[in-house]
Amino acid sequence: MRDALTIESIQKQLCTEIETLLSLQAGSVTPDTDLPALGISSLDFVSLVLNIEQRFSVNLMEIGLKIDDTKSPRNLAAVIRAGLAA
Amino acid sequence: MAHQSARRNNGAGSYSQAVLDVEGILSEAALRTILDQIADRFPLIHGRIARDCLNLAPFWKVKRGSASSQIPLRIVDLAVDQADRSEALLADHVNAPFHSQSEHLRFLLIRIGAQQSRLGMVFDHRLLDAFGSEMFFRLIDQAWQGKLDDISPRVKQTEPAHLDHWKRRFESGRTLNRLLHRLSTLEICALQMPPKGKFRPMRMLHESLSREETIALNKKAGEEIGVPILLPSAAARAIHAMREVLSGISLPGGQYLIFTSANIRVPGQEWEKLFFNHFSLLPLSVETQPAAGIKEMAVALRNQFFAQMKEKIPFVMQDASALGRICPFWIGSRLLRLVAKGRMCSFYFACLKDNGYSNDTFMGQRVLNLFHQPLVFSPPGLNICMTEFRGRFNLVISYMQDVIDDDAAKLLMQEFKSVLVQPASEPVSR
Repeated sequence: MRDALTIESIQKQLCTEIETLLSLQAGSVTPDTDLPALGISSLDFVSLVLNIEQRFSVNLMEIGLKIDDTKSPRNLAAVIRAGLAA
Repeated sequence: MAHQSARRNNGAGSYSQAVLDVEGILSEAALRTILDQIADRFPLIHGRIARDCLNLAPFWKVKRGSASSQIPLRIVDLAVDQADRSEALLADHVNAPFHSQSEHLRFLLIRIGAQQSRLGMVFDHRLLDAFGSEMFFRLIDQAWQGKLDDISPRVKQTEPAHLDHWKRRFESGRTLNRLLHRLSTLEICALQMPPKGKFRPMRMLHESLSREETIALNKKAGEEIGVPILLPSAAARAIHAMREVLSGISLPGGQYLIFTSANIRVPGQEWEKLFFNHFSLLPLSVETQPAAGIKEMAVALRNQFFAQMKEKIPFVMQDASALGRICPFWIGSRLLRLVAKGRMCSFYFACLKDNGYSNDTFMGQRVLNLFHQPLVFSPPGLNICMTEFRGRFNLVISYMQDVIDDDAAKLLMQEFKSVLVQPASEPVSR
């Protein structure tokens, strides 16, 4: 099931998750959206990471998240995919 | 509970001051008119804590006819060569207690020649929190633009007088009790409190980082802990500064414990939740021995931050705080005194990046800066506050003069600022 997740489907789920968290309009977040530019607060960012960990059953902190990984949903999705494959 | 506790200790209560610096001169008459207009539109500004036989819990009572009460506004005109006096005037302003139970806001407008105006707003934390105070400046500006009618229907003025969601609140209370129990056993490094008595007024030091320094700090923090969150790295640097400067005068302990503020509003609720307090606290700690480097401390604080968010501690604290309304004060204050054997924490810390005021101008004048001067609780008698405004960080250290002297406070600010702006590649001195 975990392996069946494609990078595109992870990106799509991440975009939806971010839109819900920040009360943004559907479709306003794309895989290349600059996440820091959205003005996401610390608490919201932690909530996002915890939601991702729960949804995809990966531990991003243990994987060793780097700052560049959090720049866009595309980068985050790549880390999640790598985490699922590990 | 926090207000009562603070009032017993500092004679004032749980207050802060938000200071807005603008270019040019703000009109006294226009400001008075707007404040009267706002007081009429939002009578809760003159509310007070009340109890009656129908409600078990105290509630915010708005008295009929109180809407005409004025929000105090004092004007001070200074010559340009007296500009330095403005800091002392602002400090005096935040230290003075409110005159009555239904006064929760007051303003000081300092006009420096024709060049600059400084508007200090002291606010009661029961009416506004730091973010709400910035939104209140926005409310004033909206009123100045004649747009108060657009905003006021969106602002929620009442909270239910009764307590609801009992099961959830008691479960939160249980989680909080467990947390307090964990904290009660800590031996922490904290400043020595003076014997009870009349304390001298609190002092504040203020410094700003440049835009370049702020960008570099955010970048360095992100690279240090792998996530775009400044709080753990900034808190690690504040702990480092306290360890370097105050270890000689603070009580020795095994850990540094800090309480940090967290704004728990949901995005989009800024106007709706303008009034009342929507901040919560997170306790974070690091071992003093073996003495860790800044990066190690930052990573440890990041892990605690995530762990506490997993347990939803800020939301648990807010839920449980509603129980404080029905908890007798003496029980609540005893519970609080359990924390770290009565020392509470090493210092309070705030690192706030989201602004409630984003307009370029205020009442037609260009905005220069916005920062906060919190009154500090005792214990611990020390508060370190960082707020970002327009891409620059303001650093404010509030301290009780009876706990540390002015020279030590200046050294603390110097060390904190220097370690914040130190390049990432440079090894941190120990």
